Amino acid sequence: MNALDYLQFVLAPQVVNGLALGVAVVLVALGLTIIFGLLDVINMSHGEFYAVGAYLALALGAAHIDFWLLIVLVPVLMLPLGMVTERLLIRPVFNTKDRHVTTLLVTFGLALIAEDVLKLIFGPNTQRPPTPIPGASEIFGIILPNYRLFLIAIGAVIVAGVAFVVYRTRLGAMVRAAAYDRNMAASLGVPVSLVYSGTFAFGVALAGLAGVLLAPIYSIFPTMGRDFILLAFTVVIVGGMGSIWGAVVAGLLLTQVQALASLVISPVWTDPIVFGTMVAFLVFRPQGLFGRLGHA
Amino acid sequence: MLKIEGLNSHYGRSHIIQGIDLSAAPGEVIGIFGRNGVGKTTLLKTIAGWVKPSSGTIRLGDVSLAGLEPDRITRSGVGLVPEDRRIFPGLTVEENLTLGLMQVRGRSASAGRAVISEIYDRFPRLRERRHQLGTTLSGGEQQMLAMARVLVGEPQLVLVDEPSEGLAPMIVAEVFAIVRELKERGAMVLLVEQNVHEALAVTDRFVVIERGRIVLTGEAEDAKDRERLMEALAV
Repeated sequence: MNALDYLQFVLAPQVVNGLALGVAVVLVALGLTIIFGLLDVINMSHGEFYAVGAYLALALGAAHIDFWLLIVLVPVLMLPLGMVTERLLIRPVFNTKDRHVTTLLVTFGLALIAEDVLKLIFGPNTQRPPTPIPGASEIFGIILPNYRLFLIAIGAVIVAGVAFVVYRTRLGAMVRAAAYDRNMAASLGVPVSLVYSGTFAFGVALAGLAGVLLAPIYSIFPTMGRDFILLAFTVVIVGGMGSIWGAVVAGLLLTQVQALASLVISPVWTDPIVFGTMVAFLVFRPQGLFGRLGHA
Repeated sequence: MLKIEGLNSHYGRSHIIQGIDLSAAPGEVIGIFGRNGVGKTTLLKTIAGWVKPSSGTIRLGDVSLAGLEPDRITRSGVGLVPEDRRIFPGLTVEENLTLGLMQVRGRSASAGRAVISEIYDRFPRLRERRHQLGTTLSGGEQQMLAMARVLVGEPQLVLVDEPSEGLAPMIVAEVFAIVRELKERGAMVLLVEQNVHEALAVTDRFVVIERGRIVLTGEAEDAKDRERLMEALAV
């Protein structure tokens, strides 16, 4: 195989597939990092909210609701779920001394319950919704699946939209201010409790949206949250806990490393490389690539 | 009208504020003096809702503030300029200021813009630097920003904690000029300040706190009261 063929048939599709996976991971990590940045809560149930989003889409899809409508409907339905979770599980333990450990354990417990509930309702088997955009396109002689191209595009739009809200609107300024200094934000009239539950719910809605968008590629099964959440946590740690841009850069970089490394070494080694990077960051640069939400 | 009666507050097991009574009328500036660690800052934090009172009442007009969340207290007309300014580092000067608009509910966007524009006229340096991150300003400018973002809310009661700390004399004069403006607008000001001589020039009355209690009260203009104040503080 000459160099051009290698580029066209091996390297380029691998880069695009890695990019699609990267966008998928970023979508899951985005909600996780926002929740961490604002509430200082490590949401271990984030992967299950992603799964709930996918199952909601499956159930509503079975009721003949169009996929394009689901992209809007599922996140909207996830909002009250996020708000209730924050009110009932996070807020009561939020002001305790061991907040980090308590919220981590509470959300981990919720994840276990959610997984079993999904299993009870939908059964343990894997289900795969039809691809909303079938077929493939040829770009510069490279054949690429249409839905993955769509995922990359919509992922970019979602990240840009979230970044716009967080960094360019008064609502975003309220979130960043509350993330940095809860008391001072409140003393300027920011309704901090509402901002907290709203942001948690927003993070959960983003996980749900990721569930809708990724199900046609990665299938739906009760433990689907576990697969992505490990990678999403890695991305959040490497990018900087609470940093939106950090999640984007780390998400795209790490998945490219995974994709390209598997061309030259056994794919078995890609996970150790990715998680080894996480460990290295925790040891040598625990703050990650970028700063936290609300910090300069 | 501010009326505080029998106020007590704790940090854990430490009893910091021990039965404080204090009142203020519109347009009155009250100096709160005392050595470090006697509870001056805690008194302001208790009024602002950062520390929950263990007992006692705090009334601003008809509203009872004790036990309310800080954002509710703010929207009832209380502004806080804290000791270390607490400028949000990830926010620009303008974002820090516009956040101050949250202090008043139901103000239209155009009214909000007009208030910000007035603030910029009063503090031209902030206008020049409005796109900079708040924490890149000098100490004096940050103090101006901390005061300006409270002024945006046009509060009835302003709690100002050590505003002159670490600032050059010219800036200190500017800080006290703002306190005077607040007074002229009819706001009540509780001013915690180590710089007693400068502070007395803008205060109407003063109290001295020791171990969480008011041990001396007096009129700023009264020579005898001032003498007693200096003795109490041993300045």
